[in-house]
Amino acid sequence: MAERKIKKSVDKASLDMMEKAARDGVTTAFDRAGEMSQCAIGAAGSCCKNCGMGPCRVLGVKGEEEAARGICGATAETIAARNFIRMVAGGAAAHSDHGRGVAELFLAAAKGKAPGYTIRDEQKLLQLALEWGVEIGERSNQEIAVDIGEIALAEFGKQEGEIRFLSRAPLKRQELWRREGVAPRGIDREIVEIMHRTHIGVDQDYHSLLKQGVRAAIGDGWGGSMIATELQDILFGTPAPVLGRVNLGVLKKDEVNLVIHGHEPLLSEVIVAVAQDPEMVSLAKAKGAKGINLSGICCTANEILMRHGVPLAGNFLQQELALVTGAVDAMVVDIQCIMQSLPDIAQCYHTKIITTSPKARIPGALHIEFDEHNALEGAKAIVRTAIENFPNRGNNIDIPKEQTDMVVGFSHETINYLLGGLFRASYRPLNDNIINGRIRGVAGVVGCNNPRTTHDSDHTSMVKELIKNDVLVIQTGCSAMAAAKLGLMTPEAAAKYAGEGLASVCETVGIPPVLHLGSCVDNSRILMAATAMVKDGGLGDDISDLPVAGAAPEWMSEKAISIGQYFVASGVFTVFGVTWPTLGSDEVTKHLFTDFEAAYGGIWAFEPDPIKAAHLMISHIDKKRKALGIDKARERVLYDMEMRRELESV
Amino acid sequence: MDYEIEEKGAPNREKVEVLGATYEAGKPDGEDDGRWRHKLASRDEKLRYLRSGERYWYGKDWYGSEKRKNPA
Ligand code: SF4
Repeated sequence: MAERKIKKSVDKASLDMMEKAARDGVTTAFDRAGEMSQCAIGAAGSCCKNCGMGPCRVLGVKGEEEAARGICGATAETIAARNFIRMVAGGAAAHSDHGRGVAELFLAAAKGKAPGYTIRDEQKLLQLALEWGVEIGERSNQEIAVDIGEIALAEFGKQEGEIRFLSRAPLKRQELWRREGVAPRGIDREIVEIMHRTHIGVDQDYHSLLKQGVRAAIGDGWGGSMIATELQDILFGTPAPVLGRVNLGVLKKDEVNLVIHGHEPLLSEVIVAVAQDPEMVSLAKAKGAKGINLSGICCTANEILMRHGVPLAGNFLQQELALVTGAVDAMVVDIQCIMQSLPDIAQCYHTKIITTSPKARIPGALHIEFDEHNALEGAKAIVRTAIENFPNRGNNIDIPKEQTDMVVGFSHETINYLLGGLFRASYRPLNDNIINGRIRGVAGVVGCNNPRTTHDSDHTSMVKELIKNDVLVIQTGCSAMAAAKLGLMTPEAAAKYAGEGLASVCETVGIPPVLHLGSCVDNSRILMAATAMVKDGGLGDDISDLPVAGAAPEWMSEKAISIGQYFVASGVFTVFGVTWPTLGSDEVTKHLFTDFEAAYGGIWAFEPDPIKAAHLMISHIDKKRKALGIDKARERVLYDMEMRRELESV
Repeated sequence: MDYEIEEKGAPNREKVEVLGATYEAGKPDGEDDGRWRHKLASRDEKLRYLRSGERYWYGKDWYGSEKRKNPA
């Protein structure tokens, strides 16, 4: 049995619950990761099991070759590239199928077939209508929404042409995608083509394989994910600043705790409403609780946090630990990143695990299927299940005290509004402050948790290092939650953690130095923010000209690989931590880490040390500043600070 | 109210004294506190905002920095 050497978490609440789990005889992902070491061949992307002649292990690293070729003749390069783009396909499929689910609900709501759902953000509906040439005139929102819903749904199955949201990107980027032959024809088509090309004996040139990975990933970021974000905004409201709280301390001892977990906010939006229903609150009181306390895990939580301020119980690696508190009466899950161990752990306490998606069933869980035609009844059944389970709580309850305030809700639209105001909404102040050097650049830090590294540590170390060096950080997903737990998402954090330049801008605008942009499909908001910076002028003509960088320091999911790939394909330097899935082929790794820059203006990098990774990002930002000719302002700034220090020491 | 004076610094600037926080201590507690889109009530106002605020995508006369060099 391999001994686990790394510290499990930097989060005290999580560490306390791990100790309680051990006392209670409960095994978590942290224990399993300690007991099961990673398969080195698989982790390096060198194990192919795409046919029944294999699996074949074919390493392409100098001096470490296991075998020159697989049984079919596939080289280490082909195998690593095939495995890599199959990860892209998995991630793009997950985001895009989520987007499709939203589009289907959207269309049903527009047609009046989904009671309880309505158009909450007319402005964004009109935005899409303008963009897609849908007639507005005197038509009702429902009529416009039917057209929007049909167009959005058709994007998934489109066979030729280009997906529509590509036209949002900077013009130079659009030209580049066309020149390189990576403009997606349809969202599903590019994913299917990956599965075809990676079947035994089809595409056996790693350049061509990786190019198809790029095409499918663009179909995720500028397609499926963007559709999910935009339609969710129309149905549930575009996020605006709201105060939230994060960590296991948001669970309440004297209230019914219903934890919402997963990624698709379709049902959870209704649950938020039902939990405030006086009938449900009275029922909770009749069962001896003081009320109903909703909280969330993972990205469904981010969605309802961004729109309603519903607190976050924690990120991916805290899902099991939330149950270990003994205070969760029900955990309702939808899709993605849900651990199969939850029903087993729930048996040690009293928690009911409720699955809701026909796509995500788990043995041992209670299944209450989400039906868009009857969402209200489904939501009521779920809330009632939690309430009725409250009296079954045992005495083995320990809720950590830790919880932290956070200000969230920074959609692209809200950033634009906050920086420029109602009459002149604009990214101009951001660009100006980048040009004058107060803000050095912008970094998107996103992604998951991974028990192969210290929980939350890489996220928080990286983010602190970036803001200390005047880099404004924008975040989504579980990464955002890690930073929030440390208090980095409050305006006060600017004075405490940020460099002088960034702090001065944050204080003037009244924003935290680390902005929460939402869930993982909301990485599409980061693409829009980057495009807005380009279009506002002064920072080049393309996203690849901007002093920006991306990172996923604790990534683990295929979705993260797809996200990273569409960031790279959009022109962003993107560094991943923990592990890298093509290390089994020097050539493929070099192609992704070096050659991609000539084609796409963005490249991948791998650096497990979060501080070193932050420094890679800062050097890239500085390289871009130099290319833009705005490095001088920054040099003068540094010189002045040095001078000041010297003066102060006299 | 007692006003507090704070010293602030910024790159490329001497430190200056500025008026400190004048707001009351405490936290906002309403879900609607940061909401701004309701300020645009009518459809016409919303369309006008899109054409000005999001002008690079929806404004007829605004092309952003990139289009000036490459006229459409
Ligand atoms: S496709 Fe080729 S490399 Fe892969 S398992 Fe089959 S024989 Fe082996």
